[in-house]
Order: sequence, then structure tokens, then C-alpha cells
Amino acid sequence: MDMEQEAEKSMVQAESSDGSNLNSSDLVTRVRNLLYRRMLVGIKDGRFFLGTFHCIDKQGNIILQDTVEYRSTRRSSPSPMEQRCLGLILIPSSCRSSCHVDCSIEEQLSLLKV
Amino acid sequence: MAEKGAEEAAAAVDVAVPEGASIASGDNTVWTDVSLLLEAACEDLRDGELIHGDNFNLFAAMSALEIMDPKMDSGMVCKYYSVDEAIENGAAPVPISFYKTVDVQCTIDIMDYLLACEATWHKGHSLAQTVFSCIYLLRPDRTSSHALLHSYCRVIRATCKAVISVVSDARTHEEEDLFTMAYGLPLDGDGDEKCLSLLNAVEETISRQLRACKAHSSKRRVLEDIEPLQENVDLEEGYCKALLCRLRFRKHFYHVLTSMRRPQGRGLELARKHIATCISELECIRKSAEFLRSIACGACDDDTEDRTTASGCQPIGFDASLNCRLSAPTPPRTIKILSWKMAIDYFVKLLHDLDIICSYTLDPLLEGVLHFVVQFQKSQPDLVARAHLQLLLVQDGKLYGRDSMFAVITRAAALPEVTKNHDIQNNEYIGQLGQLVINKLKVLCTNSAWQRRKLGKMLQDWRVIYVQLELAFRKDFGDVLSSPDDENVCMKIFQHILLWVEEQTYWIASRFLILGFELELYSPSEYCMVYWYMYVVLIKLAEKTHLKMAARNDTNKRKGKKKRDSLKDVAREYRIPPAVLFVQCQICLVEGLTMMLAALRNENMILQSPNPFNTEQERFFQHFELLQKACVPDHISYPAFDESTTYARISTLVMYNYFKDAQRIAKEVKSSFTNDPDKLAELRRIEQVAEHNSIALNVICQVGALDPKLKVSFEFSHHPYFATAVVKRS
Repeated sequence: MDMEQEAEKSMVQAESSDGSNLNSSDLVTRVRNLLYRRMLVGIKDGRFFLGTFHCIDKQGNIILQDTVEYRSTRRSSPSPMEQRCLGLILIPSSCRSSCHVDCSIEEQLSLLKV
Repeated sequence: MAEKGAEEAAAAVDVAVPEGASIASGDNTVWTDVSLLLEAACEDLRDGELIHGDNFNLFAAMSALEIMDPKMDSGMVCKYYSVDEAIENGAAPVPISFYKTVDVQCTIDIMDYLLACEATWHKGHSLAQTVFSCIYLLRPDRTSSHALLHSYCRVIRATCKAVISVVSDARTHEEEDLFTMAYGLPLDGDGDEKCLSLLNAVEETISRQLRACKAHSSKRRVLEDIEPLQENVDLEEGYCKALLCRLRFRKHFYHVLTSMRRPQGRGLELARKHIATCISELECIRKSAEFLRSIACGACDDDTEDRTTASGCQPIGFDASLNCRLSAPTPPRTIKILSWKMAIDYFVKLLHDLDIICSYTLDPLLEGVLHFVVQFQKSQPDLVARAHLQLLLVQDGKLYGRDSMFAVITRAAALPEVTKNHDIQNNEYIGQLGQLVINKLKVLCTNSAWQRRKLGKMLQDWRVIYVQLELAFRKDFGDVLSSPDDENVCMKIFQHILLWVEEQTYWIASRFLILGFELELYSPSEYCMVYWYMYVVLIKLAEKTHLKMAARNDTNKRKGKKKRDSLKDVAREYRIPPAVLFVQCQICLVEGLTMMLAALRNENMILQSPNPFNTEQERFFQHFELLQKACVPDHISYPAFDESTTYARISTLVMYNYFKDAQRIAKEVKSSFTNDPDKLAELRRIEQVAEHNSIALNVICQVGALDPKLKVSFEFSHHPYFATAVVKRS
């Protein structure tokens, strides 16, 4: 276990030391600023996941922390929502249909600029 | 360009999250679509690069639940979004059909499928995916207009609740923890506690309908005007009968469960009557299949072995995927429900096992209790039966809820009469010893794998308590002990308890070793060391038992002297007690097996597959680690084993044949156990193994020298853990 942790540490260090922080693009920096914010991700079967933005990779797979799942109880909308706690989840980009972040109205415009 | 994109995205916010409106954003904040930003940022990332914070941990991240993975995501939308939607879509109609004949037919299918589900649940699957895959059970009030279905659903819920309570009270389910998981399921329907009165009323109605239809068919005058069960006159009798046996089985099964729970085993006799009825009703249910199948013919699948109902039709109103989400721990993988036939077989076995428990005489002697439990476990009873046995044995920290553990120990260790009122029972360690006895009884009621592990760990506790007791006695009674007066009561108690603790310890060790055979943990190349270890443990067990019995006789003799009629007792005293001889003949057998296996190995007559992974010494330690850690027995190690087996030779073995000794003792001691069929059967098996091995030994000795291709292997054909040698010419 110790070895695993060490290996991981060195991996993470290597990653940050090879400059991802130094010369990452403006876009990446902006996304990095979204970390720890509340994020709402919708997926193709109609469910929503609300959690803390934890991580994203190049392929667009997102990891959320302390997630709550929301789903409608009927196929026809609108319908009452059911919810349950899931904790740490990985949402593959292939099934993601929408992605929103909780932010102030002032911030909204800057975020929408790509 | 960017502006335009932003506008589009802003517009999309309203469209994409209509339901999102009910998921509130923070005060003064809004949900902003960041899909495009993320997409663009991802393109800028290099391969393998991640965006993450300081608290990110790759290994923790690997345990994230993957959404839309069929093996991890229990929330994937299946056929229906919810139970209510399923009901609205007509998945579980009430009544099932407006044609009464079809309605009855479908109700029977539901009953049968529920039985299969219940058995599957007992066999270790979750309640949510088995019994409560039934939509009718999930909405207790919906069925109230359908008396037949309603009564059945109620008794099922009440039965499940009773079974869960037995298993969770017994806490034998640690490794079967899915069993008691009932979170989010409506186990407490309104009025379920009165399930029997409704069941009786429905049963009464149907038995009247049956009487009416019989009277009708025999052209007798119909005494009462009763509406028939369903429309088809030809089928009336068959349907009434099929329903009656199903309802009666449920009623009596519920009675079995409740009467077995009565304190101090007071309901056991009553329970036996209900068990007998249950078994005969199950036979009626089995027979009803012919009738039900003949009607359903064509409408169902032909695979007779796999069908989950008597008729073979798929039941209405079941969907296992609905519950996946209701109870988070349910693994979303699909499970296979037992077939209807296997379910009935399961219940027959369960009832037989329960009957064995109910017919037990509540032996006040611990020795008898241990023997009964071990014997009971031989039939490999399932969880529910084992839980019932445990609850019977240990109630409120007392044996059968009746005898205090101190009283049990006093009897078991043959302590003198005066002990009962002695203040020794307030000793802290005696209290702990009582707790160890309770634990031992509970562990003996668990499944073999769990039991073996727990027994192995428990050995250390028994060793520790031995040392603690010894120290405590020395401290408390040290002065008295130094006086040479051997009539001293404290001295006697001291000796007896310590002896008994040792005897129990070796008993646990031998059970631990024996269970290894049952669980098939030993490979043939390891039999030699296992039998050798059994030998050293059994020697100690015999020694302690002998000393204990001698001490008991000693006490009796003293009593006898006072009564002045002890002539016979004195004569008996010098004989070795049968219980010790019984262990003695096992000792001869395991010693013989050890030496025979060692000799065959030493003379290269048995196939030795060299183990590439570890040495014999390492395997010795792996198998007996728990025994070694607890010093059971003292000064036993691999070198001792190595030393005692290195020089074994077939030629010397034939000269001194241990198997002959085992046979002789078994023959002698048989007469002492004429009242104990279990022990007699065991002796007979030992005799057979000894005889076969004795002959095999001679054959090997005579032919082996001439024929180097002689093959010797070992089988468990006569005894579950004493191997029989099989000699073959290749």
C-alpha cells in the first residue's frame, strides 16, 4: 500500500513538474478554476448528477465527489424527482448530455466565452 | 464567433435543464453551461494529462462508481422508471384478470414464483431482488380488494420479517450479509401482524367452495349457496385444492417460525406438529403441478426443469430491476431464481432440519450439546436452520435461556457440589470463560468456512483464559494451596476447571483440523502433516479427558465411601473410560495414516508433485499457523514432524501395525456405546478404514518390492476425513 501511494505521488509530481501548470493554456486554467465547484451533469438516460467537480481527463470523462443522483419517476415529463447519494462517481464523456456549473451571474458570461 | 457560441450556449441553458430548474442553484447564482468550455479545454490537454485539485488521489479515483456501467451503475433506467410507472403501465393489475378462471390461474403462478423467490433469498441473495421483485408486495394496500392475493402477500411479508429477525438476532449472517438487508422495502404492511386471520378466512371460503363443488359433482343437494371460485366447473375442484395446499403451507410455516421462537424451547413440540403439516402440504403442492400443467399446456415454455412455477407459465407482476435503485447495496447484476422444484426441495430440507432441532431434548450437559451441534452440521443445514439452532442454544446469555453459563461449566468440568454456591462464580475470569463458551456454541452454528476461521482464532482466547485463570487462582488461593490438605475445595475447583479448559481447547483444535477436510483445504501431499497434527492434538485431548474423568471418579468414589457401597466403583476405576478409548482408536488410526503416508513418501511409492511455490515447512506453517500461535499443543513445530516421519518404512510399519490396534480398540469399545447410534456408526466407519488400510499395507509390503509400478492413492470412501488407501497396478 505504501509503495502504491509513493508511486502515485511520484506520478502526480512528475505530471505537475513537467509543466502542466506552467504552460497550460488559458482554457485549461479556466477549467482548473472550476474545481471544487458544484457541477450538474445530465446523461442520456435522463438522469442528473450533482456533485463537486473533482477531475476531468483529455477524453472528457468527469469525476464528481459527494454526488447526488436525480431521476424522474416517470418517463413522461414533468414528473417528481427521486434522489439518492452516490459519493464518488465517474461519468464517461460518451454518456454525458449536458454539463452546468453553479456560478454568479457576473461570472456566467465569462464562462460562456470559448 | 465566440459571442455567437455564447449566445447559443446561453439559450441552451433553458432548454437543456428543464428539470434542472427543480435542482436549485445557490443563492444569487445560476446554472451555466460549461460543455463547450470543457470540450475546448480537453483539446488543449495532452495525452494522459488530467485537470484536478490538490486533494486528488489516483487510487481513490479508481474506486469511483462508473455511471452507465452495467456492473456498477444500479440506477440505469430499465424498463420502468419507478414502481408507480410500472403499475400505471399495467405490469401488476388488480384483479389480475376479469375472467375469474384466468385470475385464479395467475394467482397460483404468483404464489409459486414467490416460493421460488423465497428459497433463492434463503440461499443467499438479496430480498430486494428475490421476494420483493413482486410488485404486489411492494404496494401493500393495492391488493386489499383481492382477498386471495392480499392474504398471501401479507403472510409472505410477515414470514420474511420473522425470518430476518431470526437471522439478525442470531448474527450468524456476517458472511451472508445480503440476507438481512431490507432497507427501503415495505416489510411492515398495515395489518400484516394479523395475516393469519385473513388467511384463515380465505382458506375457509375456498374449502367451502371445494365442498360445494364436490357435492355438485356427486349430484347431492347443495346445502349452501356458494359462489364458485371461478367459472369453469370442470376445473373448480383442481383449483380449490391447488390453492388450499398453498395457503395451508404458508399458515403452518408461519406457525413453525413463531413457535420455534418461544423462550426456553417451550414451543418446540408444537412446532414439530406444524412442521409435519407443512411437509405434507408441500407434497400436495408438488402433486398439484400435474393438474396445473395440463391446463397451462401450450401457453408456456417446455423446459420442465428450469420452470419457476408449477404450471410453467411466467408469473405476472414481477420485475427485479425496479428495486435495483430502491436499495443501494443491491448489486445490479441479474440473478437466477431457483426453479420451482428446487424451491420445494429446499423447503423440505429446511423443514427436516428444523425438525431435528425441535426433536432435540435440550441436553443439560455441554458435551451432549457439542455433539448434537456437530452431528447437526453434518447434514449441511442452510442459514435459516442454523440461525434457529443458535437462538435455541443461547438465549439471554444462558444455555436454552435456562441454565446459567456457570452452572453449565460446573457440570461440564465435574466440579464438586459445593461450587454452586462458591464465590468463585463472581470471579472476573470465570465470567469471561462463560462468554467463551457462548461464543463457541454460536460459532459452531455457522457455516463450515466461517466456523473454521473463527475456531482457529478462538484458540488463542482459550489459551489466554487458561493462563489468566491459573494466575488468578494462584493469587486468590495461593496460601490455601500450599497447605497439603488435598480435601481442599478450592484446590479441587482449580484443578478441574483448568483441566476442562484444556480439554475444550484441544476439542476446538481437532474440530478445526477436521473441518479442513470438509472444506477440501488439504492437498494429498499434505495429508501426512495434517494427520500428524491431528495425532498430537488427539493425544492431548485423550490425556485431558482421561484426567478429567479420573478426577470425576475420584469425587464419586469419595461420595461412595460415605455411602459404603463402593466395591463396584473401585473395580471400574482402573478401566480406561470408553470416551477415552473412543479417542484412542482415532489416535491409532491417524498415527497409522501418518506413518503409512510418510513411509510411502520415503520409499518413493507415492506420486510426489514438487510444489514450485513453497516448501513443506512453509505449508506446515500456513495450515497450522493459528494452532501454532496459540501453542496448541505446546512445543510442536515442523522439526518435530520432520523428525517423527523421516525414518518411517513400510517394513517396520507392517511389524507394528497401528491399524490393527485401531480395529481392536474399536471392537472392544463398541459394547460401551450400544445406546449411542452416532458413536456406533462412527466406530464402524473407523473399523472399516482401519481394516482396508491394514490390508493395503500388507499388499504394499509384499508386492511393492517386486513391482515398482505399484500405484497407491487415497480416497475418502469410508469416512469423511480418514483416508482409505487404494492400491493399483499400473
